[in-house]
Amino acid sequence: MKPGDRVVYPNQGVYRVVGVVEMDIGGKRQSFVRMQSEENPAATVSVPREKVPAIGLRRVATGEQMEGVFHYLAAQFDDPELDWKVRHRDNADRLIAGGVLGVAEVVKGLHSLSRIRPLPTKEREQYDNARHLLVHEIAVSLGVPAVLAEDYVDYALMPPAGVKFDLKPPPTPVLLPSRPKKRRPVAEDEDDLGLSDLGIDIDLAGALEGAAALPEGDLPAAEGEEGEAATPGAEAPAAEAGGDEADEGEGDDAAARPAKAAAKTQPKAAKAAPKEKAPAKAAKPAAKKPEKKAEKKPAPKKATKPAAKPAAKRGGKKK
Amino acid sequence: MIRIVTLERLDPTDLAFLTGTLYRAFGVGTEHAGDRHLPADAEGKDGRVDAIRLLKDAPPVRSLPDDKVLYITSAPLSLPKGPLGEPPCWGFAEFGGERAVISTSRLPARGVTEASIETWRKRLAREAIHALGHTWDLHHCYDARCAMHPSWSQGLAERPEMELCTFCREKSERKIRLAKT
Ligand SMILES: [Zn+2]
Ligand SMILES: [Zn+2]
Repeated sequence: MKPGDRVVYPNQGVYRVVGVVEMDIGGKRQSFVRMQSEENPAATVSVPREKVPAIGLRRVATGEQMEGVFHYLAAQFDDPELDWKVRHRDNADRLIAGGVLGVAEVVKGLHSLSRIRPLPTKEREQYDNARHLLVHEIAVSLGVPAVLAEDYVDYALMPPAGVKFDLKPPPTPVLLPSRPKKRRPVAEDEDDLGLSDLGIDIDLAGALEGAAALPEGDLPAAEGEEGEAATPGAEAPAAEAGGDEADEGEGDDAAARPAKAAAKTQPKAAKAAPKEKAPAKAAKPAAKKPEKKAEKKPAPKKATKPAAKPAAKRGGKKK
Repeated sequence: MIRIVTLERLDPTDLAFLTGTLYRAFGVGTEHAGDRHLPADAEGKDGRVDAIRLLKDAPPVRSLPDDKVLYITSAPLSLPKGPLGEPPCWGFAEFGGERAVISTSRLPARGVTEASIETWRKRLAREAIHALGHTWDLHHCYDARCAMHPSWSQGLAERPEMELCTFCREKSERKIRLAKT
């Protein structure tokens, strides 16, 4: 990773690497990668160098990979996950660990679903967030303005009448390493129960989401505003908090820091903030649990007919 | 404040309808900043105007930070081809930025009947809301009745909606409030 490289900070957006700086954190000398937001150059973050893999920093997708993304967006999609809890959690994982195709998967999946019924608020926000991430990565990767990137996305997702594409077989999204996919919702897990408990389960997604991401509604844009207002401050806290985390070995939590300027003086409070049960412990094991990988199955899909199920639910479950 | 710049003359009643609608959509004062000329070399070989270049080269108007400038042209707009082709273009904008442009070239004919003129005005207003919405960080919306739905949406011609859905409206309101403070 060298200065000028553009990287994707999962759930946050595209950043440009400024350089590596040495800082004293609590009397300990540490290396930090300093990065500047592409969207809002006034916003910079510094992350401990050794935490880079844990945070999931990755390079911006190449033009070739992006082409695959568009063929994926334009492909048929008929297998929405109908249990919103599973879906929301899976999507949160995809945004963090699924690479650019994972982000496209979220956009496409929720877009398909929105054609059956409007998305619940949380997912509407997740959808917007995913769109934002995808649009900006496309913009940077293809070197086009964001609004044009978004037109490209929707041109693929919902082509104008009469437009047919000569599609290549779409790339296969990476299977998320964190846990097995449950395609078939179990009874007590049925959806439309409400959104109150969203994200409370301590699992990878919950942990990552609570810790590594902004509250979902807080789009990078909003974060930018914050950064703009308090840039010099915003930078140090990231580093400081990151250093703190480094000692405790919480890579995922450290990821949260750059975004949360407010966390600067009380990292502990911030840690607890996302949920009562701070994912301090959950974050790490979840990210590493290799035994779970084994359980992962590509999953017998087509469990349900998308069109039929939601209708039944709509009738039966709402309030 | 939203400042409308016409690159060709627009009927004053059309303009009045547009400013009123934009005010209602965003709650932001809207005025006509005057007529300007399309940059001389804006037109490309195919007779269309590159939307990105137009926004870059459009004649500036006096504006304050956080003002939005909406250019209206009758010239057909083109966009660079994407991985799957060139999306049709009703307008273009700087995401989270200052400038937006819309073209009347793809609108249904304005005609002379009251009904056709009304449809035309609504559709113009709809595209204006859409393009300006992008300058306030709005993304496209899956709700076909929302102005942020892609402009090639089928059925738009018959029932042009000039509204933002609740989600988009609230998002733009947050953004506008943030800009004010
Ligand atoms: Zn648009
Ligand atoms: Zn909307």
